[in-house]
Order: sequence, then C-alpha cells, then structure tokens
Amino acid sequence: MKNKILCVILTAALAATLFGCGVYEGSDTAPEPIGAEAIGEEPGVSGAVSESLASETPNGGEKIFRYSELQEPTTLDPNKAKCILDNEVAHMTQECLVRNTAGKIEPGIAESWEISDDGLVYTFHLRDAKWSDGESIKAEDFVYGLQRLMDPATASEYAFIGEYVKNGAAVESGEKAPEELGIKAPDDKTVEITLDVATPYFLSLMGSSAQYSPIRKDIVEKYGNDFAATAEKNVYSGPFMITRTADGQIIFAKNPNYWNAGAIKLDGAELNCIAEGNTAVAMYESGELDFVKLPTETVVNYDDIDHEYMNGNEDYFYINEKSDNKILNNKNFRMALNYGLDRNTYIKLATDGVYSPCNALVMPLVSGAEKTYGEEYTVSSYPLDGDMARAQEFLKKAMEEEGFSDPSDIRVEITTTDAEASKKIAEVAQELWTQALGITITIRQVTYADIYGSVLPNGDYEIGYAGWGPDYSDPYTYLELFKSDSPYNYSNYENAEVDKCLNASRTETDAKKRMDLLNKAEQVILDDAALVPLQYRQQHYLLNDAFSGLNFYFCSINTDWTYADKAL
Amino acid sequence: MLRYIAKRVIAAILTLLVLVTVVFFLVRLMPGEPFTSAKLTPVVAENMQKYYGFDKPLAVQYVQYLKNLLHGDFGYSMKYTNRTVNDIIAATFPFSADLGIRALVTAISFGLVFGIISALNRGNKIDFICVIIAIIGTSVPDFIMGAFLQYFFGIRWGLLPVAQYKGFSYTILPTMSLAFYTLASVSRIMRASMLEVVNQDYIKTARAKGLSSFRITTRHQIRNAIMPVITILGPTVAAVLTGTFVVESIFAIPGMGKYYVDSVSTNDYSMILGMTVFYGSFLVLCNLLVDILYGIVDPRVRIGGKAGEAP
Repeated sequence: MKNKILCVILTAALAATLFGCGVYEGSDTAPEPIGAEAIGEEPGVSGAVSESLASETPNGGEKIFRYSELQEPTTLDPNKAKCILDNEVAHMTQECLVRNTAGKIEPGIAESWEISDDGLVYTFHLRDAKWSDGESIKAEDFVYGLQRLMDPATASEYAFIGEYVKNGAAVESGEKAPEELGIKAPDDKTVEITLDVATPYFLSLMGSSAQYSPIRKDIVEKYGNDFAATAEKNVYSGPFMITRTADGQIIFAKNPNYWNAGAIKLDGAELNCIAEGNTAVAMYESGELDFVKLPTETVVNYDDIDHEYMNGNEDYFYINEKSDNKILNNKNFRMALNYGLDRNTYIKLATDGVYSPCNALVMPLVSGAEKTYGEEYTVSSYPLDGDMARAQEFLKKAMEEEGFSDPSDIRVEITTTDAEASKKIAEVAQELWTQALGITITIRQVTYADIYGSVLPNGDYEIGYAGWGPDYSDPYTYLELFKSDSPYNYSNYENAEVDKCLNASRTETDAKKRMDLLNKAEQVILDDAALVPLQYRQQHYLLNDAFSGLNFYFCSINTDWTYADKAL
Repeated sequence: MLRYIAKRVIAAILTLLVLVTVVFFLVRLMPGEPFTSAKLTPVVAENMQKYYGFDKPLAVQYVQYLKNLLHGDFGYSMKYTNRTVNDIIAATFPFSADLGIRALVTAISFGLVFGIISALNRGNKIDFICVIIAIIGTSVPDFIMGAFLQYFFGIRWGLLPVAQYKGFSYTILPTMSLAFYTLASVSRIMRASMLEVVNQDYIKTARAKGLSSFRITTRHQIRNAIMPVITILGPTVAAVLTGTFVVESIFAIPGMGKYYVDSVSTNDYSMILGMTVFYGSFLVLCNLLVDILYGIVDPRVRIGGKAGEAP
C-alpha cells in the first residue's frame, strides 16, 4: 500500500520537474535571438527594419514569402559568393549595373549603356539611386567592388568570373595591381568597363553574377574580415535588405531606398535553412512554408500538384583519356559505351524518372544567336534508347584494335561520390553496361571533397561521375570543359579542331557565325565520344497558390522571387 | 583531496593537448581539399591557400594554431567565408545545449521513476508496461523515433509544430526523440539495481527493525540503488550530445550538429578543429567533474594509490 503512495508521489514529483524546472523557465520565446538587439543600433539599418522585425510571424496584411533551402548561404559577401544560394541571396539584396531576370536583361543601377563597335568597351550611365542607409550609389562603388573581387588578397573562390574584364587574370594572379583592372569611373554617374575580348553574353553574365555587385569601401574597411558576416555588417543596394541572420533563418525586408521599389510587391521574405528535405516538405504540408523544393525520392508522391524547372545542372560521366587504362583512349570503345547505354531505362532506374535523359553536351536552353541554342541548332548524337547492335560493332572494333578476345577481360572503373544518389547512378550504369557489352565494371567511391579536390583535377580516375552548372547563358560555358588549355578539362581531352573552333569563337563578332563555331565544336566532341552525357536535372517544387510572379532560371540563379506577389 | 583534483586537472589538460595535436594533423591527411568548388581555377586555389596560410610549413601552422587557441580563437571557417568558428559556435551551441539539457533532465527523471515504479511492482502489469517502454527505447534509434513522432504529432494530428525551435511547444518532440534512449537505459539500470538491493542484508535488517516499507524504499533502497546510475551519467552526457546531430537535422534545429557533420564532408579544417576541440573540452570537463564528484562521494577513489594503508 505504502509503495503505491510512493508511486503517486514520484509521479507528482516528475510532473513538477517537467513544468517547474529551471531549464524550461521562460523558454516560450526562442533561445536568445542572436544579433537581433544590435540591429536597431546599427547606423546602416533604418527604423523600418526594427518594426518589420517585431512582426516575425507573417500574418494579416504582410506579404512574406517563406521558403526553404537544404543549405545555408556560405557567405553574405557578394564578392565571395560561391554557390547558387549565395548568388541568389545577393541577387535579392544587391543591384548590379543590369539585372538579369530569367534571361531578360533589365536596367539596374545603370539606366542606359553603350557598347563600342568592337564590343570591348561598355559605358554605363547610372541613375540616382541610394543604398539602404541612404548614401548615394556611386560609380566608384562598382569600381571598388570589381577591384576587390579580383584582388588576390580578397581570395574570392569565384574570382575567375571577373576574368572577362581587361587585365582581370593578371590582377587575379598578382601580376598587376587591382587599380589596373579595366574598370573606370570618369565621374560619379559613369562606369566604363573594358573587356579582354568581345563577350556577347557579358551583360547577361553581369546581371546574374553577384560578384559584380557594387561594394561600399567604407563598410568593408569598417568591418574588415567580418564584412557581411551578419545582417548589419553590410548595406544593401537591391530590392530587399537582410535584417536578421540567426536561428537557421535569413530574414529579408523590402528595401525602401531601392530605386525601383514600386515594382516590388513583397514586404519581405524568410529563408529557412532546413538540411532535411523531408522535414521541409512536412513544414510545407503544415502551412509553415510557401515554397519548398522536393527531394527527388518524394517527387512521385506529388505528381499532380508539383511544378518543375530546369536548374541548368547536367550530369556526365567524364572519361579520362590520359588514364593508364588504354582502352579508354580508344574512340570505338567510348562509342560502345555511349551506344550501349539505354538512357531512358537508366533514368527510370537511377532517378525514378525525375531527371530527363540527355545525349548532348550543351543544354538547349542557353542563348543562341537570337533564340535559344536548342531552337537554332541540333547535334547528331547517340539515340536515347541506345543501339545495342551498333554498340556491339563498336566494341568488336575496339577489341580488335586493343587486342582483346573476351569482352569480360576489359575492366574499367567508375569513380563516384559516397552520396546515395551518386552511388545508385554508378550502379545502374554498371548493370546496364555489363548487360549490353559484357565488360567488367567496378565502382570506386570517394568523398565529395575528394572528387574536385584531387580525383578530377589530378586525373586519378577512369570514368568519373560529375556534373556541371552553367555560369552564363552561352554554349561556351559547357564547351569549355573540353578545351585543352581549360582548367576544367577534367577529361584531359585534346582535339585541335575543338580548340580552333572555341578560340575562333572568342574573337568572332558575328553572332550567327560564332554560334556556328560553337555548334561545330560540340558536334566534334560528341563524335569523339569524349564523354557520356547522362541527364538534365529537373527541380520539382511545391508552391503556395497565393503566390505568383516567381521566376526560375538555369544560370547562377534558380529561384528568383524579386517580383513575386502574394494574393491576400 | 587537493592533490587528487590537481592530478585530474593536469590529466584533462594533457588530454586536450593530445586531442588538438592528433586532430590537427589528421585532418590534413583526409583526402581532398577544403576548397572543392568544381570551378576552382589553379590561380584562385593558390590565392585561397595563401589567404588561409596553407602555403606555410605545417609545423609553423601548428604553432600558430596553438597560439591562437590560447586566446580562444578558432579562426575563420573555410566554407562559411567571413564567419569565425567562434561566431558559429556561439550562434549554434545554445540550441544544442538547450535541447541536450532538456533531454537529459527528462531522461533521468522519467528513467528513475519508471525504474523505481517498475521494481516496486515487479512482475505485475505496471512493471510489464515499463519494461516494454524500456525495450522499445533501447532498440529504436532516435532518427526513427524522431520521424515517427514528427509524422504523428506534427503532420497527422497537428498537435505540435513539425520542426524548428521557436518556443516551448517546439521543444517537446525533439526532446522526446532524444531522451527516449537514455530514459530507457536509465530505467533498466535503476530497475535491476533496485531489485539487487532489495535482497541485501541491511534491507532485511531494516525490515526486521520494523521500519515501514515506505521508509525502507526511500531511505535505504533508492539511495543505494542510484549509484550505478550516477556511474553512467558521464557517457550518457556524451551520448545525448552526439545524439543531437540527428535529432537537430530531423527537426531543423539550428544547432551545432549540422555544422560539425558538414565540416567533415567539406574538409573545412578550421571548423572541424574548432568543433572537435570545443566538444572535446566539454566532454573532458564533464568527466573531470564526475571524477571529482566521485572523489568526494567515495573516499576509496581518491586514496586509490594507497589502498594498502589503513583508513
């Protein structure tokens, strides 16, 4: 009997522990919102910010776009942006000379510009525009921004994006001083950029590359290495400003000083960094998010209500032509690999049909001479279903040339990363190739850090699974992967004709002729079977119906909610 | 006693030094580089190496690192440019600690109660239920438990928030997921230990003296039975802290776990080192406290070296 009393007492004590314990006290508010108090005191942020901060839960008349990403931005310093997400955040918060909205070039801080006849000198005329702290945006801010990008002391991982500007490469390698870079400010309202070679896609590239953002020298000097480390340690020139970075969130508020504030409908946005894709989907389901990207394995569950866009990423098997395994240097063998892969079956098995099969090198959505490259040009390539009879023919020739009598004596190794999806891709290819060709394929897994850190650059592989995302909307961004002197030539591919076409394209000023050259280069690369193209990546997403006006793009910026609006 | 504490403190400091040294050199042996962008050109790579001082000899870098460490400076992250490791720890550790403490308090208090109730009701229905809970708790991993709780309480019934960490209601599911394993093991140990104690002579003596069973349980049985539970507290703290990695990820809690795991997969040297040293110091400190506590509670421990002498 007494023991029963004891049980009751213990249970009561337990309840008391739970609700009365010090740990739980006052915890109905989140753990200290780090940095929040600091915002009001900072000179850079106006009073409006603190007010919008107060209403953290978006409701009532506020138009707040709540979305999630698997990663969190690696930096808020536009010069140092090094991934799509970094670039997107800077695209929302900074305004370059021009703005690239899903491929359309719009005036940014420059209201007009002229391009010299030789395509080398761009003269931009700036409008009256202000930073979020009320200072005028001056031509000098653009000059400083670009000089800082190329300065080796800044150590921006994406500095190469500025190599188009005259002396860019020399400044980057420390041979010339940043002041010698081809960008000048003759007066406060004029920016003059001189390029190394005429680059038809320069405006498009500049409008989608955060690295070209204006940067305020006084702010950089004030914070030094901590510049842009948190919301208040930078000022903003774009449609939105960052008001808070803490608790796994980035909070944006409309920038009242933005020159085109009238075109901006949202009051703000909330970026939630949620590493677990399924958790983000669950939050969308329970109404806590307005936009979520679907993890590929859940796409099947949302067949009717999801949307999709091409994110520009293309996956390939690179073939190392300087590998010790001589068979890979045999064109007929590489042809056999390409014809022996039924890409439609591959896509179903390896990606549940979420991505689209691909048999080309250049993504068709990039700009051609006038329309898209895909509308203007086609390449002849391996059939998507494969062609097993032809594959056998190629294999037979290759075996004769290399002195093999039994296909199973041919051993090749696929190197892939240890991510589950990459592993599956290698396994499906292994299975399909073994069936079609009877060759022996092994799989080696390395870490992601290792793939780009040593495996690909050092040519320490035979067949390597990797992907490529475009930096600008032009076939060159893909073709460069097979230029013999390119740092991205992971296949150690060398073809004089490809090099000739690509070099000629850099000086050709006629858009149509230039595109012909690029198309020819692509055709040669495919005829050589220099790679095994696998798939175009499609991103599936869920979007709250109340939102409209989102733009999706395949270069540098995927989700662009600058002009998004919410129906109240 | 003072000598005992001093010895323990020196051992703790040496442990940390060994930890820093081993990790510092081990991370450099990992395959790959910290700068892993597909688009990194050799010129840029060289600039990055210089910026982070990797162009200097490793020994120089090591000495520099130790010097910075003396000032408590873990350096700048290589992945999260412009942010120091100290900043990131300061921003994320409060979440991990909050969750960890909640889980520990819940696990220990519930675990003890379940264990005691179970032992007192040995063989009947209540004991059976408690044992079932303990078996489920020790055999279901926390990520399954988390997903399960999230699905039912968050999505299916909409009773509690699905994820994030913005208030008390947000903390319940992650705390439960994280606490469950520890709760179960504490309750099992407590039950076993209670049952062992109940047959001891001093309990029989107490009963013979005519003490009430309430007094026997509270004054004699629980007090003696609780010792094994204190013993496992050290490893339990470690288990709960490392367990937060998974639970944080499932419930999108902005704690340290994600950064730690990420830093390893992206070869972010300064972050790996900083987080390891931080966690390491934390665990060494916990063990130090447990050691000292032991010395205070149990005199045999602190005079361990002179076991032959008469007390």
